[in-house]
Amino acid sequence: MKEQPLKEVTQLIHAIKVGLVEGSYSITNKTLDIFKYIIMSKSWQNADALMQIVRAQCRILQAALPQETVTSNIARRILKLTREEFDLLQAKVQHFADDSQASLSLHKLVTQTSESNVSVDYSVPQKGLREALLDHLQEVETELETSSENICVQAEEHIHSSEIILTLGHSRSVENFLKRAIKKRQFLTIIVAECAPASRGHNLAASLAGEKNVEIIVIPDAAIFAMMSRVNKVIIGTHSVLANGGLRAACGAYTVALAAKHYSVPVIVLAPMYKLSPLHLCEQDAFNMVGCAEDVIPYDSIPAREAKVYSPMFDYVPPELVTLFISNTGGHAPSYVYRLLTELYHPEDLEI
Amino acid sequence: MVLMGEQVPQTVGKPAKNKQKKQRQRNRPRNKRNRLEDNSLTTPETSTTDSASAMPGENSVRDAGAPEKTREQVMAEREAKKLAKQAKKQKTPNTAASPATTIITEVEQTTITTKLTTTTTTTAKEKLELPSVVTANKENNNITQQQTNVVQANLENGNDVEAAEKSRDQIKADREAKKAAKQAAKAGKASGVKVEAATQQLANLKVSDKTPAAIATAPSAPEAHEKKPALSKAERRAIQEAQRAAKAQGLTKKPQPGGKAPPTGKAPPAGKAPSAAATSPSKDPKRESASPTKTTTSSSPSKSPQATSHSECRVKLFNHLVCAKGDSLFINDPLVHPAIARLGVQYAKRTVVGSNARCIAFLHALRQVVQDFETPAKKEFGRSLDAAVKHHVDHLHKCRPLAVSVSNAYKQFKNQLTQLPTDTPETELKELLGHFIDTYIENQIGKAAQAISGFLQEKITDGDVILTFACSSLIQFICEEAKRRQVAFRVIVVDSRPGCEGQEMLRRLHATGIPCTYVLINAVGYVMAEATKVLLGAHALLANGYVMARTGTAQVALVANAHNVPVLVCCETHKFSERFQTDAIVYNELSDPNQLVRGEKCQLNNWAAKGKLMPLNLNYDITPPELVSAVVTEVAILPCTSVPVILRIKPDIGY
Repeated sequence: MKEQPLKEVTQLIHAIKVGLVEGSYSITNKTLDIFKYIIMSKSWQNADALMQIVRAQCRILQAALPQETVTSNIARRILKLTREEFDLLQAKVQHFADDSQASLSLHKLVTQTSESNVSVDYSVPQKGLREALLDHLQEVETELETSSENICVQAEEHIHSSEIILTLGHSRSVENFLKRAIKKRQFLTIIVAECAPASRGHNLAASLAGEKNVEIIVIPDAAIFAMMSRVNKVIIGTHSVLANGGLRAACGAYTVALAAKHYSVPVIVLAPMYKLSPLHLCEQDAFNMVGCAEDVIPYDSIPAREAKVYSPMFDYVPPELVTLFISNTGGHAPSYVYRLLTELYHPEDLEI
Repeated sequence: MVLMGEQVPQTVGKPAKNKQKKQRQRNRPRNKRNRLEDNSLTTPETSTTDSASAMPGENSVRDAGAPEKTREQVMAEREAKKLAKQAKKQKTPNTAASPATTIITEVEQTTITTKLTTTTTTTAKEKLELPSVVTANKENNNITQQQTNVVQANLENGNDVEAAEKSRDQIKADREAKKAAKQAAKAGKASGVKVEAATQQLANLKVSDKTPAAIATAPSAPEAHEKKPALSKAERRAIQEAQRAAKAQGLTKKPQPGGKAPPTGKAPPAGKAPSAAATSPSKDPKRESASPTKTTTSSSPSKSPQATSHSECRVKLFNHLVCAKGDSLFINDPLVHPAIARLGVQYAKRTVVGSNARCIAFLHALRQVVQDFETPAKKEFGRSLDAAVKHHVDHLHKCRPLAVSVSNAYKQFKNQLTQLPTDTPETELKELLGHFIDTYIENQIGKAAQAISGFLQEKITDGDVILTFACSSLIQFICEEAKRRQVAFRVIVVDSRPGCEGQEMLRRLHATGIPCTYVLINAVGYVMAEATKVLLGAHALLANGYVMARTGTAQVALVANAHNVPVLVCCETHKFSERFQTDAIVYNELSDPNQLVRGEKCQLNNWAAKGKLMPLNLNYDITPPELVSAVVTEVAILPCTSVPVILRIKPDIGY
């Protein structure tokens, strides 16, 4: 049976494609709203049915927006939530007094077989599941809302006064983070690489220039290496964090990270938890997206007629070039990302 | 368009050997604007037809306007025409009428006028032609003198009536004016001998009271440009520049009433000159001389905020670097040869870019300096020439810090000067120096390029994907050579804002039929996987093995290194420098930061007003030797670290 998208889902896809909804935060928010709506609706009777609906809608979103991994990430969160709440309710019913099931002892962890997990039957209707889910969803929503703020709070821990910080393009987390840092520390110098051809770095620079006690330098992308020798820290945002701790970030991030590595400058990546995706993508072509080339070279110029012109949107940054992730729950090393992922998502949901 | 300047030394220069010619042609298109010129080859034709049509008109003017003119004026005009004819004879056929050339020619014209007082009178005489031509067209179109007066008055009031008065005839008129100005310049420059002969003739004429009037009309040419309707922003800026230059010299010229006064360069209050001119019979000077004062006031406020922002908003890290940006530089120094003055403008405006092109242009200009050099009385040729050349090089340095290739060429030239025999006549010495310059160009640049290309041909094989950055004449030469050998390879051109020189490279490679890919530098990681070799040009190779090149080169080398793609830097030994440098900040060049601003909608617009926001436009960066696999020189393919060795043995190679 072919899965039909919900009306809300098609609307969201359209809005994102047309550019009405931009930025991973708002996309995540909107997706969460849709799943909340699904949970509230009466279209499912048991956990299994709900999970199937969520999976189906997630697949549709994924197919329509392959580059927006946050939608699948949220779907995985919902699935994990459903499993947890179901298990919890199930445990309450079956082993009322026996709490050995609920708390995992070391013995339990060692002796536990994977079979016991599989055996759970989610198709059993469970009372109170909907309410419990909505309750839990509220927590997720608040976490999402405060994620940006939680990242900003850590600015003081990472930036001292009169530092020279380099950033690339325009990320909202980075903007807020730096604004916070500027307020708390004095004499910062912020170097913004413009990130051609979109030159979103100009927007960030203009936005930061309103603050006091800070020097903003805008450089073309070509000068990153030249300036890197004076930089204390590189702070960049990312599009998503991959399972191995690598990044899918704005085009140019790879060069920045390489240059930073060359000069042994720490690279700090700001990534809220919802950007963590259980994906392994090491190939450029597999996940990249090629943008409009008009900005790179005007279509009407003579050489443009024959030449191949690329304007890729993303860069893959391998984990060895990243020093630290700052998420809303604190700092993490790239090698720790796999562990965060297992906590965040259920192993069975990695493939939707 | 602006490129013309680079051509001029060729046309003016001595008939060169075939090889050199080829060499120059190869280097010629280095200039970005060349392409524009290629496309607009029609312009010179139209301009010549215009001039043809103008001639009868001029005659009619003489007939019509004769009664108002005094005898002397007519005589003067005749003389001017005679000169113009001479000039036309010498004029080379491929002179495109471009505003930029007129800038250059005007600038140099003024240097001539200030340098040689005799020439001053002649060029001034020629300029007499301008108003007459203008009026000719006007009368042909039945516009009365009064009407034009009114228009001029409006202009003086500072109203923007340009749109209203932009009638066809005026556009024509200003074309004429431009042409005439160019001719004058050509005559003044190309025929030093003939002009002098003409001046001898003119010496009989009593022109003393006419000259101020004529000089006062001089700014009419640039003023006319202003009316031209369809001007791009860049053009307009160029014209403003020209006006400023013209004005500056206009001021310096005015105090010479007889045209014979020594070129002291003192500028009296501008108001005085018009009053002196007013006594002369024709009405034109009064109008024209008044207008420049107006343009001064209109152009200066637009310039000043920029200039102040420049000095205030500087990136702290780069405070030690001087940003060669003073417009005052183009006010001419009487001691600077016109060829050098023009080259200085070309350097400053970045119309001559790339170390090879800069070096060749410098040497051509230098040869002219040598040709035109006259040993002062009771002085030794070699020493006085040395001093003169030093002054010229200083001037160029002020326009833009000298390229390593240029300073090396200068060093060699100086070395040559000290070795000159003392008992030979001056003409022979000049020939000797000319020969030295020719061989330097041929050996250090021409043959070196061939040798490097020869080395690299072994490295380029079928199926290769060559990645290169920005624009390098040497890389282009190598690619063309490989194409000629019918190797099936393709090129990835990596480019960066704001220069976008790679587009020029793309255009040239495209013209030879090499399949190309074009990306911006932040996508270099995306295409690096395809590349099999990275070929990079260089500005200079430093003694510690670092490569100084256009910003972004280091980044390309870095990414190539990460992908294990060999990086070959192509660099002739004449670009080797004895300087040591370990980062790009100690010594660098800053370009105009406004180039980073993209159009009207850009957030950076008006950046000077937005707090401590500073765009930074670095010219060069330094690639550490560990990122470079090898340097290809005409001597051999070497590791970067062999630079000091080459520097030590260098005097033995080449010549």
